[in-house]
Amino acid sequence: MKYFVTVNGEEHEVELTERLGQLDVFYDGKRLEARYEEVDRLGQVGLFLGERTYAVSIEGDSNRSLVTVAGHLYDVEIEDEREYAAHQAERERGKRGGALKSVMPGVVIRLLVSEGEVVEKGQALLILEAMKMQNEIAAPSAGKVTKIHVSERQAVASGALLLTMA
Amino acid sequence: MFKRILIANRGEIALRVMRTAHEMGIETVAVYSDFDARALHARLATFAVPLGGTLPRDSYLSIERLLAAAKRSGAEAIHPGYGFLSENEAFAQAVVDGGLAWIGPPPAAILAMGDKIESRRAMKAASVPVVPGLIDPVADPAAALAAARTIGYPVALKASAGGGGKGIRVVRDPSGMEGAFRTASGEAQAAFGDGRLYLERYLERPRHVEIQVLLDARGNGVHLGERDCSVQRRHQKIVEESPSPVVDAELRERMGAIALQAARAVGYVNAGTVEFLYTAASGSPEVFFLEMNTRLQVEHPITEVLTGIDLVREQIRIAAGEALSFGQADVTWRGHAIEVRINAEDPTNGFLPATGTIHNLRLPGGPWVRIDSGLYRGMEVGLSYDPLLAKLIVWGPDRPAAIARMRRALKELNIGGVRTSAPAALAVLEDARFQQGDFDTHLLETIDFKVRVGDQVQAAAVAAALHRWHEARRRALAGAGGDRNAWLERGRAEALRPASTKGGR
Repeated sequence: MKYFVTVNGEEHEVELTERLGQLDVFYDGKRLEARYEEVDRLGQVGLFLGERTYAVSIEGDSNRSLVTVAGHLYDVEIEDEREYAAHQAERERGKRGGALKSVMPGVVIRLLVSEGEVVEKGQALLILEAMKMQNEIAAPSAGKVTKIHVSERQAVASGALLLTMA
Repeated sequence: MFKRILIANRGEIALRVMRTAHEMGIETVAVYSDFDARALHARLATFAVPLGGTLPRDSYLSIERLLAAAKRSGAEAIHPGYGFLSENEAFAQAVVDGGLAWIGPPPAAILAMGDKIESRRAMKAASVPVVPGLIDPVADPAAALAAARTIGYPVALKASAGGGGKGIRVVRDPSGMEGAFRTASGEAQAAFGDGRLYLERYLERPRHVEIQVLLDARGNGVHLGERDCSVQRRHQKIVEESPSPVVDAELRERMGAIALQAARAVGYVNAGTVEFLYTAASGSPEVFFLEMNTRLQVEHPITEVLTGIDLVREQIRIAAGEALSFGQADVTWRGHAIEVRINAEDPTNGFLPATGTIHNLRLPGGPWVRIDSGLYRGMEVGLSYDPLLAKLIVWGPDRPAAIARMRRALKELNIGGVRTSAPAALAVLEDARFQQGDFDTHLLETIDFKVRVGDQVQAAAVAAALHRWHEARRRALAGAGGDRNAWLERGRAEALRPASTKGGR
């Protein structure tokens, strides 16, 4: 099984092959002596690469996990070959515009733009209040606000669609 | 001495106060909201009284309910912790009026220091140095613009009723005034019910250095040295240390004397902290009074670790009318202490609040490592309360040793289920400027936590791939069992639903 693993934006290939009940691990084509010991079902893992040990913890689902190694957090995306091929087309379509989603639950305090408005990268679009702090949500790229999906004083969940940009 | 005290707080600080009380042979009464029914502080106290409610205003901010809980439980005194009602003079007064002891400063001192404008006025009158700026609040952006012309840019806009970093904005030129005024005033209005702002000169390359003081009701007062809290973001502290890399014995004495002078000017009794802005921009060190925090500070443990003095113990003794058991000459500082705050927030996403359920927890240990934490497995982290989950405090014989120890401890720490600021703290401790002690309050703004990659990419990638492989194999071995269970669960839930809610959806 070959996996395309993106760690904090860096892409690597990890290939796992089962042979006579043993698991061979290849990292970017290089064979590693690896042992993976699940400590509990809560994400604590003992990883042994050769004689180096890593007290790792993992959380997340099969496509995206957060891996903690020695205090640092690694944001890992994993795709198998089929998923990788399927997503390749999407990747090529580019990253401009699209949907702006709320990264946290909160309340929309004020909308600072209106539909049809052309905004610059970094321009404040709206103010979202969470944990008693007011946060300016800025435009991730320059573009035009095509649709606003929320209104002032509206409570939004994490991941809620705020506005669409083109 | 008191037989029983009530702790009007939750989380790590409720536990912190409880621990000392129990060591003194004092029984504790915890209070808890519906949300906190399983919380550690409620389980570890001698008694626990429910406040009901889930929102802070119905529970930890309800003076009425807290006083009723104190009466019901027979507590003789109330410790407010930090946050919530700790700096609310109406609560302090109500406690005193109810015949209970308030483990904190007199209500009049809270009031005098609580309003930043009034406190600056009082401090100016007492010849305490303050940052150049306005004493009176301004009403609108136009007035702020006019005032900024005389003070000179950059200026800081601050909520006159503020605290905790809310309602503060820095304006570097006139064009930024309107927007900054609007958000700061809105935030202050929402947080404190008072949208008034004042202006002061914004010091470049400042450091935040504060002095801990302790005063008893008999006129004795000591200072316990400084804490450097310059590693902060939006005025929220992340890493604190003592001694400060920029404070020598002479400056410490000078600041200690000013802090005691400030405290005495308002008739202060009990533990308090005088915050200063430090700058050496003119060549020689200058310190300005910023504000006084009339409560126990989050970062008090580093002072305890350095001096060997239990601040909560002294607070309780002072509230019981006892005299300080030591004088200034008895206070000594040994080695170096660092504290890291573990907040529920995502450093890779602008430190926005994070939520979740703690399902995986590994706390560090070993020599000279102290953890003040309210964490437990299964704990839900929501948005209603302060994001502080735990504090990690280490001691070392000198600053490099303390830094090495904190890095070691942070590498052992593991909190799964909610994003925390711990990786950001580790990045700070690994930063060359921090290690050299050469930084100001803007240090965090200059570290990009988003692009930061540790050097264990290979281990992370291999672990993630193996994790996915094992999960997939487990699912394959379990067959369709998972699906059938879900189908059964749904059927059960449907059968158990009250008849009135059935069908319509």
